[in-house]
Order: sequence, then structure tokens, then C-alpha cells
Amino acid sequence: MQIPGYYEFCNNVRIVSGHKALEKIPEMLVSVGCIRPMIITDKGVMGAGLVEPVEKALGSKIKAAGIYDDVPPDSDVKTVKDIALKYRSLKCDSIIAVGGGSVLDTAKGVNILVSENSDNLMDFVGFGALKRKLKPLIAIPTTSGTGSEMTLVAVIADHEKDVKMLFPSLFLLPDFAVLDSRMTKTLPDFFTAATGMDAMTHACEAYTCLAKNPLSDTTALSAIRLVSENIIQAVKKPGDMKARLALANASALAGMSFSNSMVGMVHAIGHSIGAICHVPHGVCMSILLPYGLEYNLHKTAHLTAELLFPLKGEDVYNSTSLRDRPRAAIEAIRELNRDLRKATGGKHATCLKEVLNKDGANMVQIEAFPDIARLALNDGAMAYNPEDLDYNDMIMVLESAWEGVPFDLKRIKKGKVTSKIKIS
Amino acid sequence: MNINNYPEIKSKGKLLKKIYVAVMLWIVGRAIQAAYRVDKEVKEEFDGLSDDFMLYLNVLPSGPGMIVGKDKNGKAKYMGWNPSGKKITLDMKIKNIEAAILMFTFQESTCLATANNRLAISGAVPDSMAFIRILNIVEVYLLPKIITSLAVKRYPKWSQMNPFRKHFGRILVYVRTFTF
Repeated sequence: MQIPGYYEFCNNVRIVSGHKALEKIPEMLVSVGCIRPMIITDKGVMGAGLVEPVEKALGSKIKAAGIYDDVPPDSDVKTVKDIALKYRSLKCDSIIAVGGGSVLDTAKGVNILVSENSDNLMDFVGFGALKRKLKPLIAIPTTSGTGSEMTLVAVIADHEKDVKMLFPSLFLLPDFAVLDSRMTKTLPDFFTAATGMDAMTHACEAYTCLAKNPLSDTTALSAIRLVSENIIQAVKKPGDMKARLALANASALAGMSFSNSMVGMVHAIGHSIGAICHVPHGVCMSILLPYGLEYNLHKTAHLTAELLFPLKGEDVYNSTSLRDRPRAAIEAIRELNRDLRKATGGKHATCLKEVLNKDGANMVQIEAFPDIARLALNDGAMAYNPEDLDYNDMIMVLESAWEGVPFDLKRIKKGKVTSKIKIS
Repeated sequence: MNINNYPEIKSKGKLLKKIYVAVMLWIVGRAIQAAYRVDKEVKEEFDGLSDDFMLYLNVLPSGPGMIVGKDKNGKAKYMGWNPSGKKITLDMKIKNIEAAILMFTFQESTCLATANNRLAISGAVPDSMAFIRILNIVEVYLLPKIITSLAVKRYPKWSQMNPFRKHFGRILVYVRTFTF
């Protein structure tokens, strides 16, 4: 195991996991002296009736001071400002975020504005901008993928500039994360697949990128195992509460992991595809993950090889030679994507050309590749990727991911080879 | 309680290391200014930064540091070491002098320093990523391959930087760095 000369790991989120975890919310609020929470969610979550059990769980003594249910799929600066205004006018004292990554990140953004008494979110971009503790935040994920309930980062889009801005701070860690299997029970099969693969990507990149450490490694491997053992079951049998809770835990573990070790090129490119083509984040992740692992093989094959154990289990790991394990691990992820495509009746995309909108048109246009590549180069995640990528490398990755064909490794411009396993 | 009775404690030791890092920061700052005028890629990267770009790369707790920013014509300019009166848009703090030594003896790249929590960055992420790319190119110009290979993830191939551009550019960068 690789021990960095120096590393930091922090996660002080109190996690409550269970089939009836929501019922602990009043106790959480009382423990931080709050009685007027604001619920932030989106129309989809509201329509699915997932806010009702939260309100019911609040009991008779605590009532939500307000509900904002119009968070868009891509959290943006304007929405954050609108919600902060409502928060102040209703004199709320805490936030309960019920939803997926967009809702949770929006809630973090709102928390910055209301805690810092500011109207300009851009003042808090980048590391070190926040200096003190924010208002209490309870995160209740309704997807099992973003891990935002456990992360110190909020990704919020500025649609005017067509970029996603990164707000990283230890103060953005929620105070509480409630993992309740009821909250993901109604998640459609293709969302379950994409968000589950998002968690898988967080864990795989956390394990193979530059800021890995022994603690993030442990949580990453556990997350990969939970996803690979439960995702197909959760897609095929949405009512399997054990599988749902396992995926919720996988997402939280992966979030804990990558929040402390960051992610790499898969996220850099995925963020950019999301910002420009508005493809859901989890879809980008599931498609790009095998390419990210492949691209870095000459530096991280020995780490990718270790992913085979949680992906395929002890027997496969032991019966595969050391030299073959990296490729077998990548193939296991591709196989999982294919299985998910089959299980979702073709809704889960395995390559970019399969990503279609409601009208059946391609969401990612080849003409957008140059813009995606340029934007990805400026994504903060690139700093943590083991190998460098320039504009042409980005285009190569996008072209391969469009077609869904594995890389020709000879085309990769390699820096110093540091992997202990030689890949031909 | 009078706060003036409790003055800030500043580290006093490691003078030689501080001097070494200060000299390196001066060279790197000047070299960025020089490379802007010599290398097309550096110029493009720098021109793409925010209009008010002003970087303060400094070592905690008490320096040394360097400031590089855009002048009124939008060109790269080394602006000394003192941030007072300047509007810093990108603040890169190296957490201590030992971490700075690791970076400036090229045992650790900028990215690895970030990954190892030795470098704290405040400001726009796209600007910081572009600046790291600029720094990588400048290091290629300033240092021999055997050393630069330790400081960057990938030393540029012929297709990215041909020998003429590298060696001719290196001479120009050195001349411009050390002449006023």
C-alpha cells in the first residue's frame, strides 16, 4: 500500500444509515439548536413524494419554515441566489437538502450565501475562500451516486459563462447525512444505473489518482465492492431495500473517499461534457471511467489491478495473473456497463454516441469536442490525474469514448512510466 | 486583552533555504515574463487568463514570495515579492519552507504538491490550471530534461516541442530573464 509522505483526511459528517433513518432528523436538528429548517429539493423529488416522509419525520414539534422545490438539474448561481433570498425572508435557521447531486450542491451554495451574508457566490470560488463554520446542513440523498452528502465540494454552474465552478472547503461538509433506503426506492432503473456508476467512478479515481491515501483507499475499495455486488440487483428489482441501502452506503463511502483524495481526468472531461452538452453527470462517468483507467495504465496499472478484487471477487482475482489484472479490471467495468444497458432495456449508455435526448437525438455532438476539450483542460480535477493531457489527448479520449472502442495504448503520449506492472 | 502584547511569531531559522527559494522564485517569475515574449504557447495560455490576473505564489508563514500578473497592456509581468497594494486574484500558498524546497529542488511537481496538501490555492480554478501549464513549459525552458522530468508529469515529446523551439527558446528565455 502506498503511503504518501504527507496527507490530510477529514470527514466529520455524522452518518445515519438505515431503512428508517429519516426518523432521526428531529434529534439532529435539536442537537444543533435549530427549529426552522428550510427544505431544498427539486420538482422530480417533490413529484415522487419523497419530501412527505421527511416532513412527517420532522414530527409535530418542528415544522419546515419553507420549501424550495425548483432546483434545476444543473445547479446554477442564479438558483442559489433565489433560494438564499427566500431563506432570509422566512428567517430559517438550517437547511435540509433532499435530492441528488444538484440539490445537495445547490444547498451547499445557499449555505455559503446565508452564512456569509453575501449575494455573490463567486467571491467564494476556489480553495480557502471560506473561513468559518456555516449553518447546519442535513443532506438526504435521493440518488446513490454523487456522494455529495459526504464531500467538501460543491459544483455549481454559471450558465452565462457555460462553466461549472468548484467550491471546495472543509466547511461545506454537511453536518449530517441521512441514508434511508426509502429515498431511492422509486429511482428509475437508468438513474440507478448511472448514479451507481458515478459512485463507482468516484471510488476508482480516488484509488488511482495522485492524492490517494490509506484511508481513502479503504473507503474506495469498500464502495467498489458494494456497487459491483448490488447495482444490477437494484436495477432489476427496484424494491430490494437491502440493495438500495447498500448502494446508498457505497455512494457515501465513495464520497468520503474522493472528498479526501480528489478525482482525475474522468471527472474533468465529464464535467465539461455536462456543462456544454447537458448530459447527466453519472452517464458521462460510466462511459468515461474505462478510458480514464486505460489512459493512466502506464502509471497506475498496479493500482488498477487491485480494483479487480472488489469488482469481480476473490476467485477471479486469484485466477488472473498479475499482468492481466489491470485490463481485466477495466474489462469488468465495461462488462458492468453492458449488463446495465441490457438490464435497463437499452437506456444505459455505454458510449457517447448512445447518449440520446427525449427526441432520440444525440446529446453529444462531435462538433462540440473542441469546446469540451478546452474546458476540461481547465478543470481542477486535472491536477490530480496521474498523467498529463493536452488538447489533442482530450480529443483522442472523446473520439474513443464516442465510438465505445478501447484505446490503442500506443497513441498515448506517455510520461515517466511508474507502474510496477508492465503494460504492452 | 491587548493583542499587541502577543506579537505574531515568525520563523527565524532556515535562512539558507529561504534565500534559495527566494532566488528561485525571482528566476521563475522573471522567466514567466520572458517566456511570454518568446513562446507562443505560453503567450496563448497567459492571454487566456482573467483580464485582472495577478498571482501571488508565496511560502507560509512569512515568505518569500513572488507576484506575476498582467500589466496594463495585458502582458505577463513579474511584479516583485510584495503583495501590498496589489489585487491578488490567484493566491498559491506553499505551506512551509520545507515544502517549497521540495518543489524548487524539483523533487515534487506542482500537481503532486497540490495532491500532497502542500500547496493551498485560493482563486479561480481555471486560472490555476492554466498557470500550472505555464509553469511546466517554463521549467522545460529553464532546466535540463533529467531534472524537468521530475517536476512535470510528462516531458514534452518532439511533436509537442521540437528541439529548435526548445533550445532556441531556452537561450532567449535565459537572456530575457537575466537582462533588464
